[in-house]
Order: sequence, then C-alpha cells, then structure tokens
Amino acid sequence: MSTTTPAVRHVPRWLSLPPLVAIVVLLVYPTVFVVAASFTRTTLARPLQEWTGFANLTSALQTEAFAGSLVRTLVFAVSAAVLATAIGTAVALLLRARTGRGEGGFGVLGTLLLLPLVTPPVMVGVAWKLLLAPAGGALTSTFSSLVGSPVNPLGSSSTALGTLVLIHVWQWTPLVVLLVFAALLGVPDELLEAASLDGAGALHTFTAVTWPVVAPTVLSVLFLELVVGFKVFDLVAVVTSGGPGLSTVVASFEVFRTGLRGDYDVGTAAAMTLVLGLLVGAVTAGVSALRTRAAGADA
Amino acid sequence: MTQLADQRPIAAAQEAAVDPAVNSSSTTTSAAELEQLRRARPRGPHRRSPLAQVGVRLALALVAVVALAPVAFLVSLSVRSTDDVLTGSWLPGGFGELAWGNWSAAFRTIPLAHMLANSWLVALGSALVTAVVAVPGAYVTARAGKRGARLSAALLAGYCAPPVVAVLPLFFLLKEVGLTNSVVGLALVNGLANAPVAVWLLDSFVRRVPVELEEAAWLDGLSVAGGLRRIVLPLIAPGLVAALLVCTFLAYGEFLFAVSFAQTTASQPLTVGLSLFQGDRTVQFGQQAAAALVGVVPVYVLAVVAQRWLVGGLSQGALK
Repeated sequence: MSTTTPAVRHVPRWLSLPPLVAIVVLLVYPTVFVVAASFTRTTLARPLQEWTGFANLTSALQTEAFAGSLVRTLVFAVSAAVLATAIGTAVALLLRARTGRGEGGFGVLGTLLLLPLVTPPVMVGVAWKLLLAPAGGALTSTFSSLVGSPVNPLGSSSTALGTLVLIHVWQWTPLVVLLVFAALLGVPDELLEAASLDGAGALHTFTAVTWPVVAPTVLSVLFLELVVGFKVFDLVAVVTSGGPGLSTVVASFEVFRTGLRGDYDVGTAAAMTLVLGLLVGAVTAGVSALRTRAAGADA
Repeated sequence: MTQLADQRPIAAAQEAAVDPAVNSSSTTTSAAELEQLRRARPRGPHRRSPLAQVGVRLALALVAVVALAPVAFLVSLSVRSTDDVLTGSWLPGGFGELAWGNWSAAFRTIPLAHMLANSWLVALGSALVTAVVAVPGAYVTARAGKRGARLSAALLAGYCAPPVVAVLPLFFLLKEVGLTNSVVGLALVNGLANAPVAVWLLDSFVRRVPVELEEAAWLDGLSVAGGLRRIVLPLIAPGLVAALLVCTFLAYGEFLFAVSFAQTTASQPLTVGLSLFQGDRTVQFGQQAAAALVGVVPVYVLAVVAQRWLVGGLSQGALK
C-alpha cells in the first residue's frame, strides 16, 4: 500500500482541460485576435492582412457614435445594477415580512417572479416594445390618458435610454429578490424578536441585525448585475435599434453594427472592442477589488 | 441600547447566516432546506400593525402585477386584430371577434416551427457541452486548492467580458472550421460561453460532498476521476440539473451570437426570427405577440415545473 494518505491525492491536471479549452476559445484567443485586428487591415473575407498602426483606433475614436456609446454603456450598467439591487432587496424584505408571519411562502409569488428572469431578452424586448408602442401600446395609452397628452418614452432621445434601463431592471430584479430572500432566511428570528423586545424600531432593527447578515449577498448581487448590465445588446437591437438618433446606441451595439452590418468595417470594430474590453475590465476589476476589501473589513 | 449590546447579536447573526450551508451536508435542494428552516422556526412575536400587513400585501400584489403585465399583454395582443389593438386597451375589445388567426399566420410569416426547433437544438446541445466542461471544471475549482482558485478567477474573467468582445474573433474561427450558419456551431459556442456560470453554480455543490466519501472510494482503488464519476457526480445531481437548466435558458434566449453567426434562415433560432419581425414596415402586433409567446411558453412551463431545482440551485450556488 502506498504511504501517501488518500487526502493529499492530487486532482489530475487533465480534468482542467475542458474548462481551459473554454477559456482559450472565449477569452484568450478573442483577446489576441482583437488586439491583432486592431492594428491591421482586416476585412470579413480576409482577416489580419497588413500592419496599419493606429489607423483603426483613430478611426474608432473618431466615429461619432463610439465615445457616446461607451458613456451610455457605463450609465446603463451602473444605473440598472443600482436600481435592480435596491428594488430587489426591498421586494425580498417585503416577501420576508410576509413569510415571517408563517402564512403563504415564497411559493406562488416566487414562481411569478421567476418568469421575467427566464424570459429570453428578445421576447422581453418584443413585449415591452408593444406595450410602449405610440399607437396601440396599452401602457402608453394608459399613461397618455392619465397625463392628458400623448406619451412616447421610446420615441424621445431624452427618455429612450432610461426606458431601456427600466425594462432591463424588470427582467433582472427577480434574481436579486431570489438571492437576497435566501440570505434573509439566514437572519435568526430570535435576534429580530430580541431587537423588537428591546424596543428597536424597524429601521434600527434593519441596520443592526438584518443588514450585517445580508450585506455580502447584496454586494455580490450588485456586482453580478453590473456585469450583466455591461453585456446589454438584445434590448437595444430589438426595441430601439439604437434610436432615436444615437440616443440608445450602447457599445455592444456600436461594435456589432460597425463590424457585422453596414460597411463591415472589421478593423474599426475590433479597435472599438479593444477599448470596450479595457473599460469593462477596469470597472469590474475595480468593483471586484472594492468588494474583496469590504469583505476583508467585515471579517 | 449600548454599543456592546448592539454588536453581539450581529456576530451571532453572522454565524447563523453561515449555518444553513454548513448543516446541510445532504444534497437536497436548499430551497427545501430553507423552507424547513423557516417552518421549524417558532412563530415569533413580530407584531405588525394590521395596517402594515395590508401595506406589505398591497406592495407585493403590485410587484406581481408588474412582473406579469407584459406577458399578459402579449396574450391579449395575440388574439386581437390590428384595429382592436389600436384602441390601446389592455383587453380585447369585443366578444366573438377574437383573431385566433394571428397564431397560424405567425407560423407563415416566419418559419416559426423550424426556428423553434433550431432554438431547442442549440439550447439542449449547448447544455451537453456545458456539462462536459463544467463537471470537471467545478471539481477542479472546489478541490484543487490554489490551482482551483486560479481556474475560478479565469472563468470569472471570461464571464465578465461582454460577449461582443468574442463576436468578431469567433466569427472568423467558425468560418475557418465551417461552422457558421450552423446549429452545431451555435451550440458549441453557447455551451462554452455558459460554462463559467455552470461552474460557479456547481462549485458549492461539490464542496459540500464530504471528502471522506471520496477517500473511502480511493482506498477501494478508484482513481480521482473515478471518484468524481461514481461518488461525486450522483451527489451533485440536483445542482447539475439546476445549473444545466439555467444554461439551457441562457442558450435558448441567446441573441448576439445567433444574429452574428447565423445568416441563413435554415440555421437561425427563434430569437433572430423575432427580431426580423421588427423589420417589417407594418407592425403585426398580433402575429408578433403570438410568435413571442410560442417561444416563451415552453420556457415558462419548464421553469414552473422545475422551480424547486432552479430556486435551490441558484440560491445555494450563488450564496457562498
């Protein structure tokens, strides 16, 4: 019998192979390709033809829509993440307040809440586009009759992006509810009772007892929502196609319509991708570091 | 309340928060466990005024209405004529005038049945690919110490990058290997792209399998990989079901890769077909709603049937 104890048996390296293939195909190879394509002449027919220096990057930064699309992506991701996390946490607290009484449960309402989450984003876009249609949309009609004048949130460049944020929040808030609700079940009732016997108000109970337990989950969910927000593409493509004007052109959509539609300017699209990748990388790494520090401070 | 008295409950609460995960070494879904925890707990004297109770219920009812309204409106639209839709009302205008024809017309306007089949082929095929990648992946992240942590970080980076970053490079790669305009190509790409999500969800399921069980198997002569297949895999099955369901939904609803890599009608999934509806000059409200519902309803049925697994897998996988 071998003298090594079974506990120190090593996980064989070949088990890492399938996930490494995924990382190479989806992260390493695309990064190398995008960097290479950013500095060469590339067409759909023939990639990486000849070195062109910074011509693609210059072209990307001079594209009217691009700089704005980066700002819109950032605004979209941050506002959607904050809104979804805030609303989702509030709904989870409401659900907990009800189940705490011992009646009902996550049950029926929980199932209903899952539905927006599992609806494919394209279908979400179709549904909301129809709801908000200037003629025939039930929501716009209802609002118009309440306000007394025609309302068309998707038709105005000042409100279209905000409307898309709200639609995205509709889809992604349930994830927050689900995860924060599960974390709330970890808050012991005895502590809540003790707090209430000590005469602590609802707000004080929340800050002293509930929040410390659920804070790590809420921060994780906020991070997750931020990542999801940065990926936005479907809603823009289906609901507004970037309009009115350029008001809802987010970076993903700009890359897509530059490289795979219109002039098929792959080089410029690659340069845009590079800038977007760096921006998203910097923001997510920054937030991730903040999260780790907050977790460290807690411990 | 003094500062000191304030802090003790917090520490206790934090311990308790970790507790459910530690206690439950079994692999039943955590939804069931959480439910048990909730029921086992004595009904505390959270005395809320009747007014507050009504407020909570009203707010939750509002949440339910907001969650359901868009899909309910799709159902309403799908049986209405354009004239009826243009009244802007939420419900069909008159009895006996329901335009059921929208449903069959939707199947003629775009090759809906074919696209639906493509969507499910991509979704199920990709789930298979994801499983092949994620089961060993999660075992490595959970059990291989520093190497596992590095893999975990790399997968997280892969997930955080917006998919549009990979679109152009993958387009050329798929073209090179002849997998553009192909359901197989889409299944492969989606399967790999969703692997980080599945690994992330499965990791905590693997961690909860007692190492002692594996050690016993190794003593009996099984290799580490053999232990993974014979001991770990059956125990993480509920987590695997949940993770693969999530990934199936993600692949089924995926749009960016599909619209970039599938230019032929024969290879396009439903998400692309629905986006093409938009291009029409006259908006066919009823048909479009019916087509969207054809795509949504199977997902809803699956989500409701598998709710326990989904909720359990998501909350347990995500709360570490």
